[in-house]
Amino acid sequence: MSTVIQENPVDVVCLGVGFMSGVVATELALAGYKVVGITKGPYWDYVNDYSTTKYDEWGVGLGRKYDSPLPLQSTTIRNDTSQFALPVRRYTMPIQYHALGHGVGGAAQHYGGGMGRFGPWAYEMASRTASSYGLGFLAGINPQDDTHDWPLTYAEYDEWEKAHGICGNYNGSSTNSSSDINYPWMSKNYPLPPHPLTPLAQLFQSTVQGMTAPNGQKYNPFPSVSALSSQPYTNQYGVTVNPCVYEGYCAGLCDYACETGAKANAAYRTIPAAINSGNFTLVTNAYIFRLELSASGNQVIAAHYYDAQGNDHRQPGTVFFNGMWGYNMIRLMLLSGLGTPYVYNSGTGTGSGTVGRGLTNGYTPYRGTNVSGTVNIGGNSYPAGNGSGGGVSVFDLMDDNFSHTGLNFIGGGLFGAGGYLGGGPGNITFAGGVSAPNTANPNGAMGSAFKATQQNKYLPTKQSVGATPFAPDLPTFMNYIDLDPHYTDAYGDPVSRLTYDWTPNTYNGATYLVNQIKAILTQMGATNVTVGATVAPYSAHNDWWGHHLRGGLRIGTDPNAGTATAWAALSGYNQLYYNSNTAGVNYFAAGEITNTTGNNATAGTHAAGPQSYRAAEGIKKYLANVATSGVNYLAS
Amino acid sequence: MPVLIVPNKSKPLNIPIFQSRIPRPEELVVLDKPLLEATIEVGNLLKDCQAKWAFAGDIGEILNGVNVRPDHLTILSNVVGCEEISKKLEGFQVEASRHVETQIKRNAEIEPEPLPITIKSYASQFNLNGQRLNVHGDLRIRVGDWDWGDPLDYEPEYVYVVGVKVPVVPLELKTRLYMGLGWMDRVRKIHEAMARRHHKIG
Repeated sequence: MSTVIQENPVDVVCLGVGFMSGVVATELALAGYKVVGITKGPYWDYVNDYSTTKYDEWGVGLGRKYDSPLPLQSTTIRNDTSQFALPVRRYTMPIQYHALGHGVGGAAQHYGGGMGRFGPWAYEMASRTASSYGLGFLAGINPQDDTHDWPLTYAEYDEWEKAHGICGNYNGSSTNSSSDINYPWMSKNYPLPPHPLTPLAQLFQSTVQGMTAPNGQKYNPFPSVSALSSQPYTNQYGVTVNPCVYEGYCAGLCDYACETGAKANAAYRTIPAAINSGNFTLVTNAYIFRLELSASGNQVIAAHYYDAQGNDHRQPGTVFFNGMWGYNMIRLMLLSGLGTPYVYNSGTGTGSGTVGRGLTNGYTPYRGTNVSGTVNIGGNSYPAGNGSGGGVSVFDLMDDNFSHTGLNFIGGGLFGAGGYLGGGPGNITFAGGVSAPNTANPNGAMGSAFKATQQNKYLPTKQSVGATPFAPDLPTFMNYIDLDPHYTDAYGDPVSRLTYDWTPNTYNGATYLVNQIKAILTQMGATNVTVGATVAPYSAHNDWWGHHLRGGLRIGTDPNAGTATAWAALSGYNQLYYNSNTAGVNYFAAGEITNTTGNNATAGTHAAGPQSYRAAEGIKKYLANVATSGVNYLAS
Repeated sequence: MPVLIVPNKSKPLNIPIFQSRIPRPEELVVLDKPLLEATIEVGNLLKDCQAKWAFAGDIGEILNGVNVRPDHLTILSNVVGCEEISKKLEGFQVEASRHVETQIKRNAEIEPEPLPITIKSYASQFNLNGQRLNVHGDLRIRVGDWDWGDPLDYEPEYVYVVGVKVPVVPLELKTRLYMGLGWMDRVRKIHEAMARRHHKIG
């Protein structure tokens, strides 16, 4: 038995140091509180760590060396309770995208930089759908429907976007006036202008402007919102940010890290201000494995973590903010006995408890819901940069922006085109046209065939355009997170187990959307426009495990509803906000919104990101001991 | 159902550990909040200014990512601009515009013996909520008893400060100035900022 190393108590302990903890740690440190941030990976210095090693295609693209090491901690996955969940052992296709972040900034070092907003419909999906199409509409689509509203607001988006230097332009609106409230998923005040449009984006923009959307109105294209700074920038914390240099090779299948710090990441947006304050201590390579509860069971009094040598550290604090990646956050709560674990009853098709409830996916099924074509872009286009910059997006096929009467799904998807092609170095695994000998091509695509493909790869005049729409994935009782009864992490603790499969709403919606997109591609002059074969729900199990899985914790106000239970299910613990009805508790968490929307899967880092400002506000009030009763932040 | 029990391990597996080098506060390029707020206020008040102007000095550099610690704001303009700015910032002015000649604290380091540096400009001073703002019009520099240089001129670059677009004196001009004065430490700081900004390979 090793000796527990006692750390000095602090005001706030941030568990994980990604987007959410970045905001909370910075806000609290600047307010004068002593804050500790604990993360299981290192601090990545983009100058020294990324610029010289990111082109290590083998290590980054396949070894995922910047990602969470699976030998330390994995997760198990299955489609339904009839299956035996198996662990992720390697980050290879098609589960490569399962990779989680590692270190300060978390997964932000390998995302594409898309960071839009959820529309209000996503927060009020249940009530708005019931109002428009009847109470039974959702249940008629998805078996075991468990959709509920979320009591979130837009107030915090502005601060979030300023902090991270989000690029965009509201001028795509049809009226472009201050009274225009028709596009709430776009800000009127993005702190940075959008990236220049690529040739494909311009073609897409001009094409859709001449078309009619399913709602009977013209499409309204906007420059794609991007978290890659388009200009030199200083945020509200005084942190200066380098602009994107475009040729950064930061996207593509490898999701390379940004070597200039231009891609929004807590490590280079918020955490510098926290460090600069002198009130913040960063603990890296520290694996949090348990929260220690008080004797009464309603207070967290310490976090325990292993350092790189396996020593057990005990970090006491007054307030604990859990900003871990979604299902790591759930896992820590389950391991520590916080809240009521969600238990699924396959016999009744319902469940009880909430910790782990409502797992959803930000991506639609990879198979059967895609459309592709080839567009002549009229000239060479440098195929580098990042997918979130330089594109154009339309929201008219998203959420309930068109009538769903007579349709067999709810929601819809954002459709964008023309983002920088990305596709950084990929000669080992992903080069177009390079393939080993196979039945169809006995000689493989090497020699002259290889050279021919490379010319069009690096200086293309035609561009392949494909789309797999982000139709909404709605929570159901059958999809959830719990602790795996068989597999453990390196220290012997159970790993998280994900039980998940796409639901009919997702398949039906994507099938509808691809045909709308097909019409746009055709109008753009695309050739070889092809729609993937339709796959019936549950007939092709999910084999595309993305890191856009979300949910597992809910917030709400109605203690009698299944979701209500932000507080109730946690038996007096707060989730995300301070709850006046349970005075004296000291645990906050950044639960990701369970409802999905058609917007980009990273949108506002699943909408929990902006809400971290509210958590910071709640923690400040808690620490100031001025709001232990009588103030309901949810209502404010 | 198959059952596979992985035995508990008392120690972590042998996984690679990336060593962290957490930056020290002095390594981070962070603008103090009072100066940040003053910068935004000036940027908003001068957004319609017709004359050429730009943030210069340390504030101009930190807004472009250079690791310096400004203690006040500086604007470089011309005589016409100085007058226009004085009108737009009238409520904050503490010293009226006038021709000023001053020997600055640091010497030129281009000869075996340090040479004093004198500047002259049409200048005015402002106070924005406790933050000093110096505005220089047609600023000229003289090293030792050499001839006066021409008034500094430039084409401003633009940066964004919490959504406010403001002009800054180009780092290229600052580099040439510092090299001329032998302030190689300042040249190095700009070089380091540019190295952080650009990719390293290819």
